[in-house]
Amino acid sequence: MGKYIVRRILHLIPVVLIISILIFTIIKMAPGDPVGSNLDPRATAEQKAAERARLGLDKPIPVQYWEWLKRSLKGDFGTSYIYKRPVKDVVPTFIKNTFLLNVVVYFFAFLISLPVGIICAVRQYSKVDNFWTVFSIIGISMPTFFFGLLLIYVFAVKLNWCPINGMVTPGKNATGLARVADVLHHMILPAIVLIIGSMASYVRYTRTSMLEVINQDYIRTARSKGLSEKVVIYKHAFRNALIPIITIVGFTIPSLFSGAVILETVFVWPGIGNVLMEGIRMRDYNMIMALNMFFALLTLLGNLLADVGYALVDPRVKVD
Amino acid sequence: MKKRISLMLALILVLAVVVTGCGNEPADDANEGGEAGQVTDNPAKSRDGADNTIILGMEEAKGEFMPVYYSTSYDGYAIGYIFDTLLSNDEEGNPIPHVAEEWEISEDKKTYTFHLRDDVKFSDGEPLTAEDVEFTYLVMADPEYDGRYFSKPERLEGYEEYHEGDADNISGLEVIDDHTIAFTFKEAESTNIWECNMGIMPKHYYDFEKGDIDALKAKMQEPLGSGPYILENYEPKQFIEYTANEDYFLGAPKIENLILKFIKSETEIQEAEKGTVDIVLQAVTTPENKEIIDGLDYLHINDYPNNGYCFLGWNLEDPRFQDKKVRQALAYGFNRQEFVDVFFKGHGQVCHTPISQVSWAFTDELRENLNEYEYNPEKAKQLLDEAGWKEGADGIREKDGQKLDFTFSTFQDVEWIDRLIPMLKADWEKIGVNVEPNLLEFNALSDLVFQDRDFDIFSLCWSLSIDPDSSDVFHSKEAAEGGNNAVAFKNDKNDELLEAGIKEFDPEKRKEIYEEWGLLMNEELPYLFVYIRDNWNIVNDRVKNFELSPFVDPTHPSVVIEMELEE
Repeated sequence: MGKYIVRRILHLIPVVLIISILIFTIIKMAPGDPVGSNLDPRATAEQKAAERARLGLDKPIPVQYWEWLKRSLKGDFGTSYIYKRPVKDVVPTFIKNTFLLNVVVYFFAFLISLPVGIICAVRQYSKVDNFWTVFSIIGISMPTFFFGLLLIYVFAVKLNWCPINGMVTPGKNATGLARVADVLHHMILPAIVLIIGSMASYVRYTRTSMLEVINQDYIRTARSKGLSEKVVIYKHAFRNALIPIITIVGFTIPSLFSGAVILETVFVWPGIGNVLMEGIRMRDYNMIMALNMFFALLTLLGNLLADVGYALVDPRVKVD
Repeated sequence: MKKRISLMLALILVLAVVVTGCGNEPADDANEGGEAGQVTDNPAKSRDGADNTIILGMEEAKGEFMPVYYSTSYDGYAIGYIFDTLLSNDEEGNPIPHVAEEWEISEDKKTYTFHLRDDVKFSDGEPLTAEDVEFTYLVMADPEYDGRYFSKPERLEGYEEYHEGDADNISGLEVIDDHTIAFTFKEAESTNIWECNMGIMPKHYYDFEKGDIDALKAKMQEPLGSGPYILENYEPKQFIEYTANEDYFLGAPKIENLILKFIKSETEIQEAEKGTVDIVLQAVTTPENKEIIDGLDYLHINDYPNNGYCFLGWNLEDPRFQDKKVRQALAYGFNRQEFVDVFFKGHGQVCHTPISQVSWAFTDELRENLNEYEYNPEKAKQLLDEAGWKEGADGIREKDGQKLDFTFSTFQDVEWIDRLIPMLKADWEKIGVNVEPNLLEFNALSDLVFQDRDFDIFSLCWSLSIDPDSSDVFHSKEAAEGGNNAVAFKNDKNDELLEAGIKEFDPEKRKEIYEEWGLLMNEELPYLFVYIRDNWNIVNDRVKNFELSPFVDPTHPSVVIEMELEE
């Protein structure tokens, strides 16, 4: 197992390099550059050229890539053109805010969806199952934008239960527990939107995967042995149904850190999604590269964890 | 437990559906309330900690809290409360005293000598002196300075010796005594006075070794100035909290706590309605928003023309556009008034010349003599006929094998463009001109227009500066590749007037020059000027004396000091 993990990590190196080359080339080939955002829009042609030279944007792309790689390996991700500060100083606050929201969201999403999915599979086509099928479809197809504004209108404007947006109340300057409570209060609405949106697909996944297993011969055998339904479902069926679910959990790891642009806009949540989006719009190359490489690494690690997870739950998967 | 959760979620969903069902009604409710003469409770008054606090909602500031480094206008507002400048301005854009109580210009018009007030103190108690002004300019002249304001010191004598050489100061920047400083420029230009205006940074706090600009940038988010407010707390992407500077030289502001809350256009109306902000700066100007605001008797709108204009640029290197008659015909042939009426419903106007209407340069004579190119398809056709463009077999006018068939390069997902395209297409079709939109992402459009110069027609908006001079956009020297004069407008009279406008110091003579220039623009149509929209600030009635105008922004001394809350 240890050997397997080491081998997989070694495999990651060329993959990461290829990803970085691809992303770097694509963003450099996109029209526009950060000079526009760095200078006065009415700057003259010479001023723009001088600025381009200062940022090293006049060199050929492979040279620029090599320079980026050299300093990135040393842990220097450059300065964000938008924020005028080193990327590694700007990013952590926003990633932390995104992570905070997502941890709560995924915790509840899984906590609710796994049992619901199992129940739906066991009682296929029952009222409960039908209800959740309809719910899931609505949940998946409801646009974040619309659903978010709807919740704001009902719970913030009309009922006055929650704040309209933001993460803390301005002017309150709460500290300690009071601040935690304030943040949680602000988190309710965006969390509901995300939980319902992501729950839908988890319920469907769990249900399908359970159904597949329940119809297997070994489940019938287990039942005919006279085992109680509980043991059959939770011990025999669920463990086998877990395999595809683990893949999803693996994929969830990068999502924990990646923000949702529309949701962050509607709820003015200070997350990383809008930072990346704006970085792309303003061609903030250093920011785009640093964030994309971070997400790429997380995705690869998520995959690795999922594969290791398989080996743990499925004896048929041999890793060595 | 599981059942209870599912029940709860089901309930939320049902509730959501019920509410959507009656989503159209709130405006009616509000109207009914108004008719019955009921006064709705003003929610901003009952907000926690509302006393002595104004929350101003605006788009996000990025945290560039340093006068020499900020680049967004919202960061500009954020630091406008913290730092003072030598000058302020009146409503027409004329310079008036602020930190400098008076100033004089030398015989050769190259040197401005400012006399500073001696009662201005930074918020740490240190006095503001001429050395601090000099320091601010030395920052922008630093060899490692990478902000956007390098052109300010660049115009001063002795800039190169400091920037490139090892001079200890800029010879064109002379500290005469603690409260007197002289700026000597390389050229005598009347716009130079605005180059002397920059948020003054305290040397004792920001000082750094020449070249070690990173040491300075490290203080980006801990600003220290002499302004009416002191920054207390900054939550990135959320808000900035200020407290009043009790020792402000113009007297302490009446409002003790000021919060700039970063809001999004999606929910700005809800915030105003619920009183989580007292002011929404530059709200979206739609009839729907107006209806909601009118329905709430505790909100009003502070309305004035935006300081900028939107236009269609046409490629003047393309022979089809070189004839002035064709450009004028295209102006007569597009009903701009109708577009403005449909799109802005009375909250915008057609633009005729690139000078702000509130500026001292926009004289009554200029206003009266402007050709408004009122929609007149017959006149348009006549002009095109005169220019020799005859209708071809397909209804599109042609001449010498060329057709009046244009590609309109413009940006995606911009509402005014979405409305403009069908109207432009329909109107021009009637005079035998075809136009096909080509929607691009902003950066792609900008490259196409400014770098490649590969367009027939494009759209863009410019903002107007406080001085009417527009050399940076219209002078023929900007027509080179990468310059701002992307349409390549080259006109000797234009260059002559622009240069004369800068060289002239007598205000009355400048007025005459810009009057002539404004009429020339109106006649020559280097652009098809389209519109000037209105700016709306939604203001809660509890806030008094918050009146902005094109040259009076929320940090203008008159606003900051006078702004107060209703008893």
